[in-house]
Amino acid sequence: MTTIDASRPIDLASRPDNYLTHTRGFLSWALTLDHKRIGVMYMAAVLVSFFVGGVFALLVRTELLTPGQTIPGVTADVYNQFFTLHGAIMVFLVIIPSIPAALGNFVLPIMLGAKDVAFPRLNLGSFYLWLAGAAFTLVSLAMGGFDTGWTFYTPYSTTTTTGGVIPVLFGVFILGFSSIFTGMNFVVTVHKLRPPGMTWFRMPLFLWAIYATAIIQVLATPVLAITLMLVVIERTINIGIFDPSMGGDPVLFQHFFWFYSHPAVYIMILPAMGIISELISVHAHRHIFGYKFIALSSIAIAIFSFLVWGHHMFTSGQSPLMNTLFSLISFSVAIPSAVKVFNWLTTLYKGNISLTTPMWYALSFMVLFTIGGLTGIHLATLNTDVHLHDTYFVVAHFHYVMMGSALIGMIGGLHHWWPKMTGKMYSEKLGTAACIIIFIGFNVTFFTQFYLGAKGMPRRYYDYLPEYQTYHVISTIGSYIMASGFFLTAYCLLSSLYSGRKAAANPWGGGSLEWQCTSPPPHDNFAVQPSVGDCYDFRALRWDETTQGYVNDPALAAEAARNPLH
Amino acid sequence: MIAPLHTLVAALAADTTPQGTAWLPPAASNIAQSVDPMFYAINWICYIFFFGILAALVYFVVKYRVRKGQAFRSDGPLHHLPLETSWAVVPLLIVIVIFYIGFRDFLNISTPPKNAYVVQVTAQKWAWNFKYPNGATSDDLYVPAGRPVQLTMRASDVLHCCYIPDFRVKKDLVPGRYSYLWFQADDVSGQNPHNLFCTEYCGTGHSTMNRKVHVLAQEDFDAWLVEQSQWLDKIPEEELFFRAGPKIYARCQQCHSLDGTKGIGPSWKGLWSRVHGGEGSNEKFGDGSTYASLIGPGKKYATPEDYLRNSILNPGSELVGGYGNAMPSFKGQLNDKAIDAVIGMMQHLDDFDPKTGKYLKEAPAAPKVSMK
Ligand code: HEC
Ligand SMILES: [Cu+2]
Ligand SMILES: [Cu+2]
Repeated sequence: MTTIDASRPIDLASRPDNYLTHTRGFLSWALTLDHKRIGVMYMAAVLVSFFVGGVFALLVRTELLTPGQTIPGVTADVYNQFFTLHGAIMVFLVIIPSIPAALGNFVLPIMLGAKDVAFPRLNLGSFYLWLAGAAFTLVSLAMGGFDTGWTFYTPYSTTTTTGGVIPVLFGVFILGFSSIFTGMNFVVTVHKLRPPGMTWFRMPLFLWAIYATAIIQVLATPVLAITLMLVVIERTINIGIFDPSMGGDPVLFQHFFWFYSHPAVYIMILPAMGIISELISVHAHRHIFGYKFIALSSIAIAIFSFLVWGHHMFTSGQSPLMNTLFSLISFSVAIPSAVKVFNWLTTLYKGNISLTTPMWYALSFMVLFTIGGLTGIHLATLNTDVHLHDTYFVVAHFHYVMMGSALIGMIGGLHHWWPKMTGKMYSEKLGTAACIIIFIGFNVTFFTQFYLGAKGMPRRYYDYLPEYQTYHVISTIGSYIMASGFFLTAYCLLSSLYSGRKAAANPWGGGSLEWQCTSPPPHDNFAVQPSVGDCYDFRALRWDETTQGYVNDPALAAEAARNPLH
Repeated sequence: MIAPLHTLVAALAADTTPQGTAWLPPAASNIAQSVDPMFYAINWICYIFFFGILAALVYFVVKYRVRKGQAFRSDGPLHHLPLETSWAVVPLLIVIVIFYIGFRDFLNISTPPKNAYVVQVTAQKWAWNFKYPNGATSDDLYVPAGRPVQLTMRASDVLHCCYIPDFRVKKDLVPGRYSYLWFQADDVSGQNPHNLFCTEYCGTGHSTMNRKVHVLAQEDFDAWLVEQSQWLDKIPEEELFFRAGPKIYARCQQCHSLDGTKGIGPSWKGLWSRVHGGEGSNEKFGDGSTYASLIGPGKKYATPEDYLRNSILNPGSELVGGYGNAMPSFKGQLNDKAIDAVIGMMQHLDDFDPKTGKYLKEAPAAPKVSMK
């Protein structure tokens, strides 16, 4: 069972029916229980939110071109709303749901050879919760918006006079439930629906990552939900919980908030790491190196993530003993991360690397994540963090991790599974060019910000001293480059829907189960439950010129069966 | 093991000059002396790992790239326990050492010496107030060189954070708590003054909540202190409103305009007439009472001055209609003479530039006073 079983059923183009054409009409989508359709709807919703969050980012960057007011009409208050919206949208509406709920939903059951997730109705329910959460954000905007920062720090958030604070808190509360439901669904799915033969250590690494993420989602998100409700209660009926003028404690809020939000960082990055494990291995056509270390490091990260929240509060006045412990544990997160990077790197060694668009994204991820991870050392170290905390250095660091890594991983995954989702191939030339433009723009934007921050430029500043201007200008230009890269990506993917070549079942040469059903998959994924081999063994695959995809070659498979890998 | 490492750290660190180094601003405190080498040592670790990884990545991609249709090789290792353990353990050792040095230095940063010179700091939206042992107050921070200075800080509304980049110090100000920050600034020469920023988001004026830090030699500092504690006393009563008024108004300016535009607080234009039973005296407060019903003999405020004085010291007690409870109290910060100056300015508002608050009439030549 270590090789791909050439005799297993392959539902190649034998069936013209696929999940997109299976039923038609608006209601067939709105009421669908098909995980693939839900995944696609999530993806569309997330990408629209990404566009909106991106527009706010560009507004923020443009406003920062000069000290003082740059865009007519954008006062400090308007600017404060811009960066708050940018942060809140990107975190709660985009990055957190992007990989698990959008890509995960589409891919996870197919990777398991299952027909759907364990609870399809709950799955649809969590999508509608997402929509409700997004709707509350819009309501909040209509009621005057909010300027609290995405972190909602008290007592500012309980006293600010902007009118939309309570609706947006409800919105995030609801989004939290959407996230919890998705997490529960995936935990049960992975436990219960693995096919015979797929032991824990035979799961594709993406599933390990999604599984670890789901556990964090289920355990950490309720804390956020309760905290936000406490803020609502404090604002509406003036019970002193966090506001010191009513006997509350603002630092308590920070503890509660980061108890969720630090693990949330891993809700964002872990699934992206899972995608990268797939991308590197599939596009290098090389067995992943150190499977067990990678799988277990996901779990290690999930556990550590609950123990480091205090590193956001080194300057908040918490006791030196706590600071010490939090600093020490924060460093420990470096270890599983380093293990992953080195194992990915070794996976390239003696590989069969195809420089496809997804591979370019995977390589970008490795570079950006390395920078993001290494600069985490400056911030976990107590004495240097005192200088860097709440400056642009932190902004740069978390953009390298959350955007350069989590989002780039997501976009890479989107390119990887796009042929499977849509049945169409995009232009790889365009896709790769866009990836490179984004990579360059990203570094111009954010590397500059490391420098700004180290030189003392505080974050969340509408106005700044003239000595920082040069670097702000460079950073803004970078953001325009990056934006043009994203527009090119959008064009590349959308145009493929109309003019793209038909995708083969296995266009990249992947070994996991989703590459064995047609592109796009039929409504119920597999007619017969497929049998499971080692999804990282690529030896039986052969490039087939006529279908422009990889096929299982029986001769190679037989040869591989005689020489098990170990 | 730690001692030689420390020398190594120091050697790798870039030279610190008053102009600042490649990555960091000028190092102007004792704390910067220990933070900077650490920062550069970590930088070097990052460079080594980053370029190592990048080189391997590029090399592998170039070397093991295949074209479509080429047969796959499969001779790469699947796992290698010693190798994998080593890249868990080596980073672990490195970060433990970094942690330890950072931690030791942090203990020093967070423990102010007993003999430190104490300055009381109050932050409120969106101003800093520094109060010295002799009662003098200032909006910029002045500190003596060559001795430890402790800031004892509190916030009176929301979170703020005191950050002096050149000193590498930062600490949150939390309403309802005191927090400390200390440093010893030695440099009185080149880089004065240093920036002081608020780095905890606090709303509209967050980014303008920055001031300067002036490091003075001890004699100069002592002289400044005396002068600063007396500047208001030295001004004769009749010159108070145009000499001291605008300087104090600088602290009200972000919320109160003079030209009638609504800000976070009501404009001072027309205020004098409102409180004197003239035009606007029937405007309502949040609770429905009017100026006329509150001010006058036998009413809550016997005189308009009483009302104005109370508005400055207890801003929440009457809320002007249409405004929130956003004004910080100036109790303990403005004495009676200062309040006289402000009230005098409100009375003679026509004599001041409605945009900048500058006195427009020719002021009689007067001894120079400073209030920064
Ligand atoms: C953070 C903004 C803010 C600052 C700074 C501020 N105020 Fe106010 N002020 C307000 C607001 C809001 C009101 C209206 C609500 C109220 O009455 O408390 C107000 C009201 C007043 C009133 C009553 C005005 C009226 O129309 O009845 C006076 C007098 C006043 N402020 C004086 C001052 C002085 C003097 C200073 C500076 C030393 C100052 N304020 C600084 C926000 C501010
Ligand atoms: Cu964190
Ligand atoms: Cu601030």
